[in-house]
Amino acid sequence: MCAKVYHDIFNNAGIVDNPKIISFIYLTKYKHMGKDYLGEFEELILTLVAALQEDAYGAAISDEIETRLKRDVNLSAVHVTLYRLEDKGFIKSKMGGGTNERGGRRKRIYTITNAGIALLRTMKETRLELWKMVPALAK
Amino acid sequence: MSRRLKNRNIKKDKHQPGMDFWLSLLEFFCPIDLYEEIEGDILQKHNSDLVKHSPQKSKRRFIWNTIRFLRPGIILRNTFTNQQNPFIMLDHYTKIAFRFLIRNKSFSAMNVLGLAFGITGAMLLFLWIEREYSYDQFHTDKERVYIAWNREVSKGQINCWPTTPRILAPTLKAEYAGIEAASSYANYSDTYLFTAGDKRILVNNVFFADPDFLSMFSFPLLKGNRSSALMEPNEILLTESFAKKLFGDKEAFGEILTIGLYGETFPFTISGILKDLPPNTDFTFEYLIPWQFLESAGEKDESWGNNSVATLVKIEDGIDINSLNLKIKDIRKNHTNNTSDAEIFLYEQSRMHLYSRFENGISSGGRIDIVRMLTILGVVLIIIACINFINLSTARAQKRSKEVAVRKVTGAYRTSLVIQFLFESIMLASAAGIISLGIVYLLLPSFNTLVEQRLSLDFSNTYFWLILVGGIFAVGILAGSYPALYVSSFRPVQILKGERMISGRRNILRSLLVIFQFGFAVMMIISVIVIHKQINFVQARDNGYAKENLIYHFITGDIEKNYIAYKDEMIRSGIATSVTKTSSPITDRLSNTGGIKWRGKDPEDKTNIERFFIDEDIVGTMGISILQGRDMDLARFPSDSSAVLLNETAVALMGFKDPVGEIIHDGWDWHVIGVIKDFILTSPHQKVEPMVLQGSRGWFDVIHIRLNPARDTRQNIAGLQNIFTKYNPEYPFEYYFVDEEYKQKFVDLEKTLTITTVFSSIAIFVACLGLLGLSTYMIESRVKEIGIRKVLGGSVISITKLLSARSLRPILIAILIFSPVAWLSMNWWLQSFAYRIAMDLWIFVVGGVAILLIALITIGVQTISAANANPVSSLRKE
Repeated sequence: MCAKVYHDIFNNAGIVDNPKIISFIYLTKYKHMGKDYLGEFEELILTLVAALQEDAYGAAISDEIETRLKRDVNLSAVHVTLYRLEDKGFIKSKMGGGTNERGGRRKRIYTITNAGIALLRTMKETRLELWKMVPALAK
Repeated sequence: MSRRLKNRNIKKDKHQPGMDFWLSLLEFFCPIDLYEEIEGDILQKHNSDLVKHSPQKSKRRFIWNTIRFLRPGIILRNTFTNQQNPFIMLDHYTKIAFRFLIRNKSFSAMNVLGLAFGITGAMLLFLWIEREYSYDQFHTDKERVYIAWNREVSKGQINCWPTTPRILAPTLKAEYAGIEAASSYANYSDTYLFTAGDKRILVNNVFFADPDFLSMFSFPLLKGNRSSALMEPNEILLTESFAKKLFGDKEAFGEILTIGLYGETFPFTISGILKDLPPNTDFTFEYLIPWQFLESAGEKDESWGNNSVATLVKIEDGIDINSLNLKIKDIRKNHTNNTSDAEIFLYEQSRMHLYSRFENGISSGGRIDIVRMLTILGVVLIIIACINFINLSTARAQKRSKEVAVRKVTGAYRTSLVIQFLFESIMLASAAGIISLGIVYLLLPSFNTLVEQRLSLDFSNTYFWLILVGGIFAVGILAGSYPALYVSSFRPVQILKGERMISGRRNILRSLLVIFQFGFAVMMIISVIVIHKQINFVQARDNGYAKENLIYHFITGDIEKNYIAYKDEMIRSGIATSVTKTSSPITDRLSNTGGIKWRGKDPEDKTNIERFFIDEDIVGTMGISILQGRDMDLARFPSDSSAVLLNETAVALMGFKDPVGEIIHDGWDWHVIGVIKDFILTSPHQKVEPMVLQGSRGWFDVIHIRLNPARDTRQNIAGLQNIFTKYNPEYPFEYYFVDEEYKQKFVDLEKTLTITTVFSSIAIFVACLGLLGLSTYMIESRVKEIGIRKVLGGSVISITKLLSARSLRPILIAILIFSPVAWLSMNWWLQSFAYRIAMDLWIFVVGGVAILLIALITIGVQTISAANANPVSSLRKE
């Protein structure tokens, strides 16, 4: 179980290529994981990673936000949030294939981790709990 | 890099012109691991934009998208986290270090104490050394202030000395360009009586300076005018505390005091108050009297032969000292019609404290030798303490091996382990540093009395803290780097499989370090023995006169006038058995000269001969024995006022077969009437100088009185005081016991002994701490072996022997290796004394045995209790 968690943590974006950096320094860095809290944008991205499954990468996520939420979002903001989520251990990544429209550059495909799923679920349930407290009138 | 190059070749056809620049900008700042995906996403976005928007707008959006990646979350990714890691770990390291230190209390205590003692010793030494380097460095124009030296060839040797004629300073200033200021400065031994109101102070050192003196040195003037003070013959400068002694809390500036000398009194106006001299100056004056005073009183000294003052010169800015030296070289020759060939040269005044020794005309160190020696001592003390740390840490490394293995298995870098252990040693060094700062603070007053300094810890000085923190870091790294490298090199597989690391090489290294530590301890202990023996040896030396019951006082006020009656009453009342007037106390030199002539003298010979003037009866008063001829006796032979007694050494120098009746020439002719046995006038460590004891045509400053031994000394002194006051009511009666003054000649050496003893104790203590730690560890790791030996019938004695032999072997080797080094260095030290002990073998035997005994006692208790332990308790566990 433990080894699994660390595996997830160490497969960081950009860090996979540099296995030397893996050290148990990260034991201390991530020992406060329980206290994690997601911002609104982070939660949005995390949900999209879960939803898009095998097609979750930076440009696709940003397109998805623009088309579905009609919300203009900068590409770099999406990337930084993805990295942060990966640092926190809620998503993991691997390099996927390239396509013509992106000049043959490979994509970094993100998948949600168990920890991410668990967090999303808790968040959803807490929301529902709170929603139930809202008086019927408002519904 | 190869991947980047590959990327550059992929399809560029779709790009609009000008896009390459933005992509290379992205490549420049984006971490290599993120570049590919980001570039891909940007291109993909651009392509979808081209569908929705015009090419211009798409390009704008492309550029904006690229620029927006210029944010810390992208640029600093990886690079920043990597650098930050060690700091994140510091709190973890601290925690682990504390746990380890607390679990091994005795080990930690030994380590910290050893380091603390080493650092304490070194810190005291370095404080002293820092003070030595600061002497007379605070003068603003110090690089332009010079002191004149004499240089003379005698018997093929070049002799240099820093006292020059009084006339030199005014002559230099008047006749040579480029000299901004010049002043004679002298500290004469003479007796002046200062009187202000009803307050009287008798001083035995008098200080003279020219008005220029104040403009050359940065001694702060609290009151008065720097340029006009000392201009008038009846003006005087006082230091703040001397003024306070005379005037109390009253304002002294502008007041009048009187100085009594040779039975006359002179009024002086206080034209300035100087701040008390700082501790780091070689000047010692409490007041300054202008030369003009002496000169207006008729004591104008224009002789080029009387080298009795320091001549200080300040040259103008931009003057080359070498060419100036060439010009002034022959100043004396020019003024004396070539009768003297001594040359004058200028030497930096700021170098006088540390570099004032000249050998054969070349500057060759001086006090700097001691400073360098003590610097080495300080560094060695720290090294000894560090060795303790290294030995204890590597010996105990086994205890950390599991921790290291687990860390490595979970992926720790060797670098991070090294950082961890270095951090630990720096922590220990800091603890030791704080402790030693406390000890130094407490010890500083006693250390100050020992070295006669006013050293202090300057807590407000930033440099002090910088050096302290830097020093502690240096010690931590020096002590910690080898253990850190060693411990971090463990192979996790071996350790976790339970293999014991056998490393004979480490043991050899440890023994080598112990050999160094104890070798130094042996050298220190041998120095202590040698110095102690040398002091005893010199103290037992026959000084040539009877120093007990002999007192002297300076001739003051009316004593000169009333001398005959004064002497007569002393003898008549039975207080004194004999009284003699002399030029200087029998423990002090008055003057020496190379200019005395005698029959058959080699004209090249300029050997210095001591002058000593007596009126009569030196045998009765001093107890010096006459070998040939007779004592001075003015009553029977009035011509004895121009008679002279030679000492044995002088007879040997002059080569007289039958000295009585010979004539020597010193100013005028003196006829030799006798030869006395050598006595020690100046240093008991050196050969007795040749000496002439000239008769009453000379001058007198001192009266020696042989007290009547049949009577109580206190009664004698009380009676003497009455008689003195009767004949000299204006002056206080201040007298000196010759035996006390003689003891002063040993003070320096005794200080050396105390300092050596203190620092060798520190060195030995620290070395013993290390030995104790090592032997504890050795016993701990051999506890099963000891148990088995006992079960198989080993006796307590044989086991004790076995255990001690192991610990004592490196010490024996240290004694064998370092005793010759000690012999060499102490022999070199003894060379500075003409009268010295021989370096006997037994000194080394005693030193070696002492070290062995100390070591035995150190390890004894533990070894014996280990040998006595019940084998059941050590063997039961397996």
